[in-house]
Parts: sequence; C-alpha cells; structure tokens
Amino acid sequence: MLQKFRELYHYREMIISLVRRDLRGRYKASVLGFLWTFINPLCQILVYTFVFQFVMRTGIEQFSVYLISGMIPWIFFSSAVSGGTTCIKNQSEMVKKIYFPREVLPVSFVTSAFVNMLFCFIMIFMVIAISGRGFSPVALLFLPLVMIVEYVMALGFTFIVSGLTIYFRDMEHIVGVIMMAWIYLTPIMYTIDMVPEALVSIFNLNPMTPVVQTYQKILYYKEIPNMETLGIAALFALIIFILGFYAFRKMERNFAEEL
Amino acid sequence: MNPENAIEVKDLKKKFKIYFDKGHMLKERLIFANRNKHEDRWVLNGISFNIKKGEAVGLIGRNGCGKSTTLKLLNRIIYPNDGSVAIAGKVSSLIELGAGFHEDMTGRENIYINASIFGLTKKEIDERLDDIIRFSELEEFIDNPVRTYSSGMYMRLAFSVAINVDADVLLIDEILAVGDVNFQEKCFQKLKDVKQSGTTIVIVSHSLSQIEKICDRCIWIENGLIREDGAPRAICKKYLESMEYDRLERAEQEYVMQKEAEERKKKEEEEAKKQLKFQKEEAKKKAEEEERKRAKEAERKARNATCRDICSQCGPDARREGTQEIAITAAALLNHQKEECQKFHTGDTMVISCSYEKKVTEKREGTLSVCFTRSDWVYCSGFSLKLENGIKYQFKDKEQIELKIDSLPLLEGKYYIDFIMENDGEVYDALYNAIGFSVETPSRHSSGMVEIPHVWKIDGIQMKQIAYKE
Repeated sequence: MLQKFRELYHYREMIISLVRRDLRGRYKASVLGFLWTFINPLCQILVYTFVFQFVMRTGIEQFSVYLISGMIPWIFFSSAVSGGTTCIKNQSEMVKKIYFPREVLPVSFVTSAFVNMLFCFIMIFMVIAISGRGFSPVALLFLPLVMIVEYVMALGFTFIVSGLTIYFRDMEHIVGVIMMAWIYLTPIMYTIDMVPEALVSIFNLNPMTPVVQTYQKILYYKEIPNMETLGIAALFALIIFILGFYAFRKMERNFAEEL
Repeated sequence: MNPENAIEVKDLKKKFKIYFDKGHMLKERLIFANRNKHEDRWVLNGISFNIKKGEAVGLIGRNGCGKSTTLKLLNRIIYPNDGSVAIAGKVSSLIELGAGFHEDMTGRENIYINASIFGLTKKEIDERLDDIIRFSELEEFIDNPVRTYSSGMYMRLAFSVAINVDADVLLIDEILAVGDVNFQEKCFQKLKDVKQSGTTIVIVSHSLSQIEKICDRCIWIENGLIREDGAPRAICKKYLESMEYDRLERAEQEYVMQKEAEERKKKEEEEAKKQLKFQKEEAKKKAEEEERKRAKEAERKARNATCRDICSQCGPDARREGTQEIAITAAALLNHQKEECQKFHTGDTMVISCSYEKKVTEKREGTLSVCFTRSDWVYCSGFSLKLENGIKYQFKDKEQIELKIDSLPLLEGKYYIDFIMENDGEVYDALYNAIGFSVETPSRHSSGMVEIPHVWKIDGIQMKQIAYKE
C-alpha cells in the first residue's frame, strides 16, 4: 500500500493536470461558463426550500441555511460517486495503451469534484452572511477536518464503483438509483430528531449521516462538532477507503482486457 | 536479474478469453450464465529473451502472432498468465500518441497533461518544455487551442512530448509515420540519438527497412513462440521469404477456388438454358443477352486462368487480352542459372523467356514488347523487338524468345512484367502483370527507382565501383 502511495505521489502532476483539465474543460463551451458550478446547486436549493418551507413545512428555522450546509457536501459526494462510475470507462483509450497507476483516474475525478465543492462553499458563506446568523470561528477550524473525512470516504466508494463498472456495465445506472434514494435517507432536508425512534439505528448505519451532521453542526448550529460523531464518520471513511483500495487493486489488473 | 540486462522475459504465457456472446450487463451475467461460455486463446505460448542495456530490438511477425501483446506485457498494461517480466529502470512508451489531449486547451497546456501521463513531474516537464516545443516546430502556434491544429501538427506535438520523455527503456509500436517526410526523418534521427545515449529500445513494426535501420537485433515471433532471434538483416530476409511463400500459397488456393466456381457456374448455365426453352420469347431474348454477357465474363476469366496455364509464376493480378492470332504459350522469369525466380537483387542477372505460336496461316509481322511496372503503377521501362532491329519482326510459326539483362538496374521494390505481342496497336496477345518479382538493394548508396551506371572520380582518381554481385 505504501509503495502504491509513493507511486501515486510520483504521478501527482498527472492528477493535477487531469483535475485542471476537467475543471477548465467542463464549461468551456457554454455561455455562462464556470458560473454553472453555482447555478446548478443554487436552483436545487431554491426548489427544495420552496417545497419544504412553504408547502410541507418542516418547521426548521431558516431552512435554507440548514439545507445548504448539508446539501453542498452531499452534492460533492453524490457527483463524485455516481460520476466516478464511468471515470475509467471513459478513459479506455488511455487505459488500454499507456501504463500509469490506474488509481490516478478515480483520485483525480474525486479531487475535481472536491475542488468544485470548495468553490461552492463561497456560496454557503454568502447565504449565511445574508441570513445574519453569523459564524463561529472556532467551529470553522473543524471544517477542513470533516472535508478530508468526506473526501476519503467518497474516494473509497469511487474506487469500488469505478472498478465494478468495467465488469458490469449497468453499475452506473444502479448507482444513479441508489444515490436518488440515499439523499432521502440522510438528514439533509430534515433533522435526525424527526426520524421515528425505531428507525434511528438504521439511519445511523448510513455512513453519510455523521458527515452531514458534522457539517450542519459547524455551519448551521455554529458549534464545535460532536467528537463522537466525527470519530464515527472518520472510522466509516477509513474502512470504506481501505476496502475500496484493495478491491480496486484486485480489479485493475484486467482493466485493459475487459475494456 | 543480471545487471547487464535491461529486460528479462522468462517463459511468458498469455491467454485471452474469447466470448461467444459477451454480456456486460449484470442481468446478462446472472440470467444467461451459459452465455458466458468462452474459449481460451493462447496468444503467447512461453517466450523467453533477455535484452541488454542499450540494445535496440525489433519484434516482427505476421498479424496476430503476439508481438503487440508482448509489448503490452512489457509495458504492464496487461499481465501475464504465467512467466515473468523484469525491467530495470523507467519505461516509456510510444504506443499511444496524444493521450489526454484536450481540444480546447492550448498546445502548451496539453504538453503538461500529456507529459504528466508519462509520469513526469512538473519540474521535469519545465526542463523539457523548450526542447519539446522546438522539436515540434510549433513555436508560433503553441499558445493556440489544439482544436485549431491540423492533424499533422497534432501528431507532431504528441510525438515531441513522447520522444522527449527520457526513459531507460523505450517501447515503440508502429508509429514512425508522423508528419511530412522532413519530420519523419527528424524523428528517425532523434530516435538514433536516444539510442546513442544508451536507452534500450523495443520496436514492433511491419516496416522491415525501419527495423534494419535502427535495430541491432531482431526477434521473429510466430504463433506465440520465438521462431528466430538474431541479426536483423538475416532474419528480415528469412521472414520476407516466408511471407512470400505464404502469399503464393494463398494465390494458389484462390486459383483453385476460382476454377471450381467456374465449373459450378457452367453447370448452372446449362440448367438455365434448359429452363429458358420453356419460357416466352421476350424473356428468352433478355436471358440470351444476359447470357452473352456472362459468357463474355467467363471467357475473360478463362483467359485469366490460362495465364496460369502458360506461366506458373503468374500472380492473381494477371490479365490477358488480344485476338490470339499469335498466342504466347509459355513465359518465365529466370535467374542467372536459368531457374525460376521471383526475388532479385539489384545487379543480378535476369533472364526473361517467352514462347509463342502463330495460330493463323497468313503472314504476321509486329513486335514483342516486355515492360516493367512498379507495384504503385509507375511505368519503369519497356523495350520491344521491333525497335532494336529497326524493322518489324516477321513472326514464325513457333519460336522461343529470350531476353537477358546482365545487371538489373532496378532498385528496391516490387515490380511486374507485361508481355505484349502486337502490330501497330492491333494486340495479338498480351499478358499484363504477368509475373511479379521483388528487388532488394543490399547497399544503400543509391535511392529511387533505378541505379544509373556511374563512376566517381576524386582528384582524377577513379573510385572503386561498388559491386552488387557477391
């Protein structure tokens, strides 16, 4: 594992180049260009705010702030994992013809989604500033920590799904369906208190629950995150990452032949 | 691993799964489990070789013999089922050019992406950037998006990046056809420099002249095994001979098949005739017309077939025309020992033999012409009996004519001989592309189509002639 990390470090320029290419290439031909990075989640949040604050009334104070602090991290996670399914399939020409550590592809894909999220955090801070809720500087110190945890977790999942897609092509559709359901099983549009007592334990099995809760704690409640929650999130992330990493190593040997 | 070696390959075996009906969908994999039946095809059946540091080795063999697979195994793109590959040092490949290029980004940005895929760090790319741009000759366009490049410019940029990745081992798969002639020459020169600097090179190519130029050693792979290993000149020659043998065998098969098809056709025609009798007159007329056409075609084909009958050296492209008032009865291409031969060297003695028979009793005069055409349809040379004597030749009833060329001036290439018997445009008999032959030029003092006899003098002293004959 250490050797692989060293090799990946050697290929860091490739990761950086691919991330840069992805970010710059993504909206190059469209009129609004990079602004789409903001417009897309913003519209999503506007729709959800309308539905949950005015139609279904969840009763959460300043719902839009609560929503956005969970939604932006979720969008990162879901786009990294569901988009990541095809990150190797789409580069089949390269995989078939050139040697490089195959891990580079999922790593750069998740990293580019991660950078996208960082840009979106500008929007979160703007929304919080406008709402007048204010920030807690001490709590914000924990923000990078939870981001890293989420990054590692997303990477672990992406390792698994990107490799499986090579062997089973309908993996990408399956993941799309799972992601659609998964967002409702995570306390983003509601709080965990609203979940019936009997179901809480099931909700706690969801690795994204502690991650999203930590983000909300920091941004919405302006409190230092619960260390236990953060620890569970980190443990989940680590297990998924190691699992994904080894599964990927097992699968990558035959990529060039299966593609 | 022996420290002298750059590559050690031991008993390498590789199989591919050939699916009869491959299902990529999960559903298919589960429900139609029997669809996943597959056949194992062994591409490599255990090959072993060592390559010394600084050596340049060419892999040759026909399509599907496993040479590209070997290269992929060396490159760690695929992994062997058995055996081992050990490589000392950094490996770079010229297999896929322009990997990761993004159309909307500039040439300069793409250099960074492409080079990083070869495993260079930013610092290393910075060091090489000027060399890469200079080599690609794209200084003016380097900050334009790649989509504005012509395909030649695109390939030039891609090649420049790949060749400037300094590696200990360089793997090349059939890509030296980049850009115009000047740039190709430059790539070649660069490759020589790379070799000079001590890089080990492995090339897969169908261009034997390229391999002869660059490589010190040549490995001929056949059916997943090493057939021969040694000096490129000796092995390339043997390989070519084997390929030529195969080609002739295939032509023979086609000839047999063609004859069978004709017989079948004749039978069908006879049956069709019987049926036609029962049909209306109008239909009969039409059918007759059609039949005439068919007969014409059959006649044409029959003539072609007779090409083979009169000359065993005829290739599948041979074509026959003429009134047959005077018919060629035999034709052959011979070497200096009067043996049938279709492979010559520049400077060899060549004998062309041709027999004819006059089928009519009246007098006939005219000429026999023998013409040489290169395989790319460049007309090289032709000479006829008439011109040499100044007067028309009176054909006898039966005769054998021989044409001797003492020192063949044609240079490397494939050529065809035409035989034409005619009189002022009236063709009695003509065999076009009758006999094909290949010429090899052992020395590279001349280039082009023919060697013009010449003498060099320096300060009045005549230089020694280069003799092609051994």
